[in-house]
Amino acid sequence: MASGIKDKVAVIGMGCSKFGERWDAGPDELMVEAYLEAMADAGIEPTQLDAAWFSTHVDEFGTGKGGTPLSIALRLPNIAVTRVENFCASGSEAFRGAVYAVAAGAADIALAVGVEKLKDTGYGGLPVANAGTLSPQVAPNGSAPGNFAQLASAYRSKHGVSREDLKRAIAHVSVKSHANGAKNRKAHLQKPVTEEQVLNAPMIAEPLGLFDCCGVSDGAAAAIVTTPEIARSLGKHDLVMVKALQLSVSNGYESQFNAWDGSYFHTARIAAKKAYREAGVEDPRRQISMMEVHDCFSITELVTMEDLFISAEGQGWRDVLDGFYDADGGVPCQIDGGLKCFGHPIGASGLRMLYEMYLQLQGRAGERQLADPVLGMTHNLGGSPASNVCSVAIVGREGA
Amino acid sequence: MDRILPQPTPETRHFWEGCKEGELRLQRCAACAKSYFPPRPFCPGCGSREVEVYPASGRASLYSYVINHRPRPDMGAEPHSIAVVTLEEGPRMMTNITGCPQTPEALQLDMPLEVTFLKASDEISLPLFQPAKG
Repeated sequence: MASGIKDKVAVIGMGCSKFGERWDAGPDELMVEAYLEAMADAGIEPTQLDAAWFSTHVDEFGTGKGGTPLSIALRLPNIAVTRVENFCASGSEAFRGAVYAVAAGAADIALAVGVEKLKDTGYGGLPVANAGTLSPQVAPNGSAPGNFAQLASAYRSKHGVSREDLKRAIAHVSVKSHANGAKNRKAHLQKPVTEEQVLNAPMIAEPLGLFDCCGVSDGAAAAIVTTPEIARSLGKHDLVMVKALQLSVSNGYESQFNAWDGSYFHTARIAAKKAYREAGVEDPRRQISMMEVHDCFSITELVTMEDLFISAEGQGWRDVLDGFYDADGGVPCQIDGGLKCFGHPIGASGLRMLYEMYLQLQGRAGERQLADPVLGMTHNLGGSPASNVCSVAIVGREGA
Repeated sequence: MDRILPQPTPETRHFWEGCKEGELRLQRCAACAKSYFPPRPFCPGCGSREVEVYPASGRASLYSYVINHRPRPDMGAEPHSIAVVTLEEGPRMMTNITGCPQTPEALQLDMPLEVTFLKASDEISLPLFQPAKG
């Protein structure tokens, strides 16, 4: 087996723009906002960057599908820029590219930047594809909330959970994320909500109401990575190290021959197992200090708690209601507000998750700061329950 | 907003031409005998290219569904079902249930269904399912 990425690469700078309805800024400005924060944090000059990875998914801007939109916006010193795209997990792909380049010795210092400017589409959800590829060919019947709501039907049926219990549990997922997002000045949505508000919100796709769905946002995030030796030569200490980077991609298993029951993410379980092995984590419920997961819908977060082996199968809803994933719980989840409240600019989201883990590990998360976190995990999903890409990353302190 | 419709490709044309003619067509592998959906020119189980197109019975049962209360912008304003049905031949298909109230009372799991076709344009008829008659 490959030796894995553990402790080969350090994160020395990160930045994240304010997320939200950014009518005041174009994609170039959002990238600059995240990039300048990351560069100031790393304390390096642009000439020290060897290569960059750039993630954006839905929209094309600047010169289109290539590396130039990033290179021109940041006036990078003619270095390699690779544009990557993997649905809503695109930001994690940019990070993976930069980390692997450093681990391979191909770059001393590498940059990852993700951006998305979605509100300009004038549409509240995600644009719907209409031609050519498999999904619009064979599934012209659904919607994103509808596809994810089916997880709830399947989960209830498999585990014998009443509608009322599951509805309360997923409501708590959102109440918790709003409480956390209210402490984040960069978040798209910064207002707390009550369980009553969530339960009584207009229905979108049964049982998902308005507050069970994340919105989409404008925003950008950036990371700068290097080797631990170079990081120390730059005067850095208490390094944030990459411990695991895994990606699992659906191969049709879920949608053919009826082998999958629709209640969980097949890919997430595979990516999580590999990530724990790579990071040397044996008991994730005790060892993982905190998580940012892909809470595109509240039910996604709930089943993900089981797919990451933090909650036992069929018990995730109880852990949620017990407050295990609250800011003061056993494994705080979405401490920055998550996709639900920080927002979901697709190309940036994976990097945004890592940004919070990075701040927390360095004790720089302000009023959201957790006590003494050691390992942080991110879970970044793209696609639908039946067909998706799932990225799981673990970062942590040196020696952890 | 007009309903977003598929644009048939060489791999899926047999399926959409069948729908247009009121016939639900599946594919079956000659090597391992499995029926499959969605359409593709080789077997998703064993990779064989010895596959054939054949007319399905059109009979199915309701495996799972959700009621989508706020439809996609091209799908009108009324709540509607998004369902997974198990075809008599084995494969599952995502579709909508029509011809009955879009309520949990009317949509009972495992209920027998039959295919019906919604003519959405001159080229495309969408395969939907309704409660089986008789």
